[in-house]
Amino acid sequence: MLVQFYNVTKVYRNGVKALNDVSLKIDRGEFIFLMGPSGAGKSTFIKMLFREEIPTQGQIFISSRSIVRMKRSEVPQLRRSMGVVFQDFKLLENKTVAENIAFALKVVGTRNKDIGPRTAEVIQMVGLKGKEKSFPGQLSGGEQQRVGIARAIANRPLLLIADEPSGNLDMDTAQEIMELLYDINRKGTTIVMATHARELVRSAGKRVVTLEAGRVLSDVCALEL
Amino acid sequence: MMKIKNFGYFFKEALTSLSRNRVLSFATISTMTICILFLGVAVLMTVNAGNFMNQLESDIQIIAYLDNSLTEAQVAGIKGKIEQTDGVEAVVFVSKAEALQRMQQKFAERDYDLEKTLGKNPLPNTYEVKAQNPQEVAQVAQSIKEIAGVYKVNYGQGIVERLFEVSKWVKIISIGFMVILALGAIFLIATTIRLSVFARRKEIYLMKLIGATDWFVRWPFFIEGILMGLAGAVIAIGLLAAGYSSLVNNMQTALFFIPVVYQQNMLINLYLSLVAAGALLGVAGTYISLNRFLDV
Repeated sequence: MLVQFYNVTKVYRNGVKALNDVSLKIDRGEFIFLMGPSGAGKSTFIKMLFREEIPTQGQIFISSRSIVRMKRSEVPQLRRSMGVVFQDFKLLENKTVAENIAFALKVVGTRNKDIGPRTAEVIQMVGLKGKEKSFPGQLSGGEQQRVGIARAIANRPLLLIADEPSGNLDMDTAQEIMELLYDINRKGTTIVMATHARELVRSAGKRVVTLEAGRVLSDVCALEL
Repeated sequence: MMKIKNFGYFFKEALTSLSRNRVLSFATISTMTICILFLGVAVLMTVNAGNFMNQLESDIQIIAYLDNSLTEAQVAGIKGKIEQTDGVEAVVFVSKAEALQRMQQKFAERDYDLEKTLGKNPLPNTYEVKAQNPQEVAQVAQSIKEIAGVYKVNYGQGIVERLFEVSKWVKIISIGFMVILALGAIFLIATTIRLSVFARRKEIYLMKLIGATDWFVRWPFFIEGILMGLAGAVIAIGLLAAGYSSLVNNMQTALFFIPVVYQQNMLINLYLSLVAAGALLGVAGTYISLNRFLDV
């Protein structure tokens, strides 16, 4: 079991109850869609996966380690086992495609001599060969998201977290990004993806967890939707 | 803590950030220069004031006046007793003849024979006593006064106490001044680093999410703070060294009676300390502005 949520409740300091008694398990190799309207608790759920937030009540285990009891100094190690893809890409504008990826590898302490080859490898994987020296501003939205994905998988994470990765993209481009994510999933990486896009989910035939008002409304295979 | 292989990267990041915020960096370095310059001036003033005070203090001596009726043996015996008194460093005998001669010398320019005018020598035999510690002069004087045959002691009662009081306040005020300057410098560095961190908060957030350790994020900012502190210090020391040596030259000719400290060693130590202070202020300023942003 890669991720285990046990009766997780999160109340923010302003009194907002973002998650209410959520229990959930995610197996290695799974692909999970996280759905629900804005304010349903998707962002909070995702932030807990990489421990930007911790539960007010309940327990969360990732690779059998409690993130609640985890020391602050152990957090970087946890996060190095994950990759995060953002809706707004969060690329560094003053760095090239290759530099953005190399930067992420540098940050997590990859040996200098390994950074170059690994960067080239993931650029090839996401289909951006030839664009290494471009700056994010010179790329289309879809291409920028490919850089985001390349950066997220560069460190060979166990878990890839994608928060509305296609939210800023048109339908065709979104579909291309989905194909890329399925491909990564097939190679063994567990993926949790929050999204609003029903059309993408419906055709996928994957597990879909729907949140509403902080509770799990349904947890089904897409074909049953 | 810091892996050597990352130093080049951290250093490059720091330089990039400094040049990206060129105007702000320049403003901070200039203000640091002024702060450290004032700090240096304050230290030099304290050192010189202290030196001046020490000189005044070391001039303090106790004069013990002896009864005129004593025999030579008794006078010699008193010397032994004074020497045995606690806190006495040195004792010098000044005979009445010698005292008269000294007085005569003060009037040397005038054609004026004291001995002839006075008829006989009215001055007593005295011992000039130097205390080990100028602060203890009063107690030592009191003990000497109790020796039989000493009829009076004089050490500039009143003036000495006031001198110590002034000397104490000079120290307190200059230390206070230095503390205020240091706090000002820390605040400035903190502000610059805060702006620099703020400009890069998205990058920092990203780094933390990817799994950067706090120190990996911190180092470039620390180097940035240290570089600004060092740059400020080096410029300030240049100005200070030039200013002080020209001051010393002028003082030695125009105001020769005021002693100025000009020891190469002392100055080198001072300048090195100011460099260290610059770096330290940079670290302190960076530290206080950084932690809030790392809490991701």
